[in-house]
Amino acid sequence: MRRAAAIALCSLALLTAHLSAQWPAGPAAGVAKKPANVATDRAPVPRTADGKPDLSGVWEPEKNRPCPPEGCTDLHTGEQFFDIGWGVKGGLPFTPWAADLVKVRKAEGNKIDPGTHCLPTGIVRSHTFPLLKKIVQVPGLVLILNERNSLYRQILADGRPPVPRDTELPSIMGFSTGRWDGDTLVVESTGFTDDLWLDQRGSPLTSSGKLTERFRRVSFGKLQIDVTVDDPKAYTAPWTTTLNQFLVPDTELLDYVCLENEKDLQNIR
Amino acid sequence: MWLLVAGAPLLAHHSAAAEYDQDRTVTVQGIVTKIEWTNPHIFIYLDAKDENGQVVTWSLEGASPIALFRDGVHKDSLKIGDAITVVAFPARTVAHLGDMKTIMRADGTKLMDRSGKQ
Repeated sequence: MRRAAAIALCSLALLTAHLSAQWPAGPAAGVAKKPANVATDRAPVPRTADGKPDLSGVWEPEKNRPCPPEGCTDLHTGEQFFDIGWGVKGGLPFTPWAADLVKVRKAEGNKIDPGTHCLPTGIVRSHTFPLLKKIVQVPGLVLILNERNSLYRQILADGRPPVPRDTELPSIMGFSTGRWDGDTLVVESTGFTDDLWLDQRGSPLTSSGKLTERFRRVSFGKLQIDVTVDDPKAYTAPWTTTLNQFLVPDTELLDYVCLENEKDLQNIR
Repeated sequence: MWLLVAGAPLLAHHSAAAEYDQDRTVTVQGIVTKIEWTNPHIFIYLDAKDENGQVVTWSLEGASPIALFRDGVHKDSLKIGDAITVVAFPARTVAHLGDMKTIMRADGTKLMDRSGKQ
């Protein structure tokens, strides 16, 4: 009994030491705290001084892909990580060019996935990759800081017009401008590079594409992002999917630098 | 000394199934000779005897340090010289390379176990 107590104390001491070895615990600056004794889905949506919903906080993607009874053999994630068309009625409306491209990407698999090569994976996959992201919202600007590869994204919400689709210096993350439509932050992004993947099977996004994201904090703990993809080179019609995110309170981002010690690519078949 | 349970995801940068055969496992018993607690995935190197009694070095891959940290497995949870038994999914194309499923200490406690982990 005494030994068990000693082990428990030792474990607690070690755990405390480990927790304090990262970010010291404490309230996150600029992030609303949930009122005590109120369920996360019932607590009111926090608002900024100008009355807009406050999206600030650390968020993780929905993980709705079931694991088998014996457990997931890989990271638990959402269905749209693998197939962004999951839930889209009738599936994605690929153009013949895009349908052929997806076949090639499927055949080559992980060997040619930009994610395997540790490249930034773009806006849509940053909403499905099962790592954390931090939203920082200030007047006229929303920043999204991604754990994966310490990747930043800025949404300029200061009245600037969107960037043209075929811009001089295309970007993997695109160029994002935002405006408020009631309680919804509407973000348009263009100026993409030509070879982006929206999911692990390789659904494409090209330089002719425009993404429209509608960010809506539907409860204290849930952020709904409706993403519309309009890319006439890859799809015969625009399509929309919903990528839910859930608040991860009282935590901070940590390091995930993919190229630090990457050894897998050479062994992937 | 204490039970640590963790998932061992690889998906954060590639699919585990693309590199490892998830339909079978190997059990490797040996001594830790090197630890790389690095992104995107940790590696533990284990000297173990093969079926002929020869010592071979296994490279055993695990989750990312941040995933392990959040599951309660830490950089000092293992030390060089520790005797451990690892159950791993073997690599499809490379010998003595595996994706760790469970790590068990000599006293039988599990350091990492993704069996039944959601």
